[in-house]
Amino acid sequence: MATPEQAAIELRQLSFRYPNGRLALDSIQCAIAGSERLAIVGPSGAGKSTLLMHLNGLLPAPSISADDDAQVFVQGQAVTRKRLHEVRRQVGFLFQDPDDQLFCPTVRDDVAFGPLNLGLDRAEVIARVESGLAAVGMADCSARNPSELSTGERKRVCLAGILACQPSILVLDEPTSNLDPRARRQLLQILKAFSGTLIVATHDLDFVLDLCSRVLVLESGKVQADGNTERILSDPLIMDRHGLEVPWRLRSPARRASEG
Amino acid sequence: MVVSDSGASPQSICHALPAGIRLSLTIITILIAGLIPLEHWPAQGLLLALVFVGLSLAGVTMRYLFRRLGLFLPLLLVFGLSVPVTHSDHAAWNWMISLWLRCTVSFMAGLWLIHVLPFRELLTTLRRWRCPLVLVAMLGFMYRYTFILWDELRRLRNARAARDFGGGPWWRSWSINSQMIGLLLLRAMERAERTHRAMLARGWDGSVRFLDGDG
Amino acid sequence: MHIRDGILGPEVCLVAGAISLGAIGYSLRRLRLDLEDRAVPLTGMLAALVFAGQMVNFPLLGLPVSGHLLGGVLAAVMLGPWAGCLAIAMVLIVQALLFSDGGLLSLGANILNMGVVGAWGGYAVYATVRRLLGNGAAATVSAAVISAWLSVLAAATLFCIEFLCSSHSAGFDSRGVLSLMVLYHAFIGVGEALITGAVLAFVLARRPDLIPTPQPAGPIRTVGGFAATGLVAALAIAAILSPFKSEFPDGLDAVSEQLGFATLETERPPLVLEDYAVPAPEVAWWPGLSVSVAGILGTLVVFAGAIGLAGVTRRHAAPVVVVDGGHGR
Repeated sequence: MATPEQAAIELRQLSFRYPNGRLALDSIQCAIAGSERLAIVGPSGAGKSTLLMHLNGLLPAPSISADDDAQVFVQGQAVTRKRLHEVRRQVGFLFQDPDDQLFCPTVRDDVAFGPLNLGLDRAEVIARVESGLAAVGMADCSARNPSELSTGERKRVCLAGILACQPSILVLDEPTSNLDPRARRQLLQILKAFSGTLIVATHDLDFVLDLCSRVLVLESGKVQADGNTERILSDPLIMDRHGLEVPWRLRSPARRASEG
Repeated sequence: MVVSDSGASPQSICHALPAGIRLSLTIITILIAGLIPLEHWPAQGLLLALVFVGLSLAGVTMRYLFRRLGLFLPLLLVFGLSVPVTHSDHAAWNWMISLWLRCTVSFMAGLWLIHVLPFRELLTTLRRWRCPLVLVAMLGFMYRYTFILWDELRRLRNARAARDFGGGPWWRSWSINSQMIGLLLLRAMERAERTHRAMLARGWDGSVRFLDGDG
Repeated sequence: MHIRDGILGPEVCLVAGAISLGAIGYSLRRLRLDLEDRAVPLTGMLAALVFAGQMVNFPLLGLPVSGHLLGGVLAAVMLGPWAGCLAIAMVLIVQALLFSDGGLLSLGANILNMGVVGAWGGYAVYATVRRLLGNGAAATVSAAVISAWLSVLAAATLFCIEFLCSSHSAGFDSRGVLSLMVLYHAFIGVGEALITGAVLAFVLARRPDLIPTPQPAGPIRTVGGFAATGLVAALAIAAILSPFKSEFPDGLDAVSEQLGFATLETERPPLVLEDYAVPAPEVAWWPGLSVSVAGILGTLVVFAGAIGLAGVTRRHAAPVVVVDGGHGR
């Protein structure tokens, strides 16, 4: 567990209620170190996406505090309305559906979108676009229309667009949904090469096992368990209680035999 | 109507012209077609021949051309014929022929343009012509999401075809079609919300910025 | 509904283009005030939706043809008149430039008839009717149905005016064209009204929060709204009266004179400049050409005005930045 001084992200008693009255997050306390790869798991509707959106100040404006009683801290800085731009510079966000994120007519324009918004000059933007596309192995697709790409390719282009902004923290919402095994493996390789903080919300526990060192189990907006990946994912009590399943690889031979 | 980029061969002598010239040429041709007076329809025929040469140079296949003209001409013929039917004098026939030629020239000039000007180049040209950047950005956005909504519409149609066993009064298909558009509208609005978030996440502040030129 | 090139005279196309240009500029400005940083995604998405929605065909009672949504009122109801006008304009631009559906030169006229009248005028009627009927779901749907029907009639009538203003339509029986078009589109408009109403009813049943309430001090007060309301109302009356043409032989003429069609007609540039037609050698084709040239000269004046307006608009809009080699950022 990281101490607050060195935490890349710190949540202090984070609670959030939707306008319709539903309590989505209930006093979440958590600190994530700069080099950590954290997975957030839990059943659908547990508040995973809501939590992720807090990390980037993406919820409707009134829910972002204007003053000092902030509940979310990124690289030691409170996430407030005034600092949103700075926070978004630090945190890259990969959305679940790549089509939500690819809104430009060509791949190149899309990857350039973030760097242009950072106010970089033309040469730097072009260099960022090229390095971003190269990092995800899509350098030869820059002039294509995103609609012509496969889901896996689109996901990688989305990632290129985020990497081009050079964030120190990467937040991913269901990165492996709708991916075939090869695209999933490619994504895993790209993410393993990323040196900053990773936060992944997913149902894909095998992916978590391969990528993350720490797991946070979330249900009904509360942290139910927090700790080492293998310890939590192999604990049948925790997993069953929160609508999850122990991944095949972690099951004891006896249990494998009885179920398979 | 099919959502796709032009199917003509991408490398023709017409594609070598600067994009702005291609757009201007088309507009000038259509303007000239509109300015040639009625009784000088032979000049219109000459222009038609020119546009035809342009289409051949752009590599448009005759099959494609005639298929598009086949959709376009019948309505035009009927519209044109309504004139001599109501006014049976010589001028009316002149008028009709002139109208036919004028519309065909313009239509074929438009076809030429869509074959030699890909959408991306069109956006660049509009930007160069000082079109407001917000409008260019919205056009690019629309172009991108037309493909996605078109896919969603196709899925909705398939889902409907799987459960629809034909028949029913005409108003039933009207109500189903309207619901389909309504559903598409809901999904589009929800997607716009998510996309707006995705834009914010990458530093969007409402000002449009473009990476000019082609690298 | 899409006007092809060659149907309208070039001078009319240029005037309509200038008006549409001004309308687009004004819409862009208002849009950025209303929707702020959501303007691009929302308007672009709405345009894509209308475009896709137009591909759904509605069978017409056993006829071999089918109708489809036009979408002006639908777009305006969902996002307001400014985004609605822009969305329809963009649909028409893409249709003209990518599918050759509707002419390039008559793009301005198409945007004027369907985008500006459809969204601005349609919204003005919609907001007025809603103020009368209240905020219930039924009120919303019926207001949209009424304004959708009127918007189609208005577009058809505007087309007639444009057509009859074109120098090459001199021999046409103006009353015949107008009554035929308006009568025909009174039926087409029913289709548009039904589709718009049904789509909105569907949305209201699931996400009523997506349909905003028209602001009381909104666009009705603006000049555009007033003009559009007046025009649409006039056209509606004309449309209702036109079937009685045979009983009242001069009814339509009287109506059009009272309601300002006559003014519209005398104000068109070709007539303004006609008296000053350049004296020309006695060549048979010259008079026709000189009228056209006069028309174009007249429209250039209007065009200059529109470009000036666009310039003012650009200065007032939020800063936009192009990154290129010359200017840096």
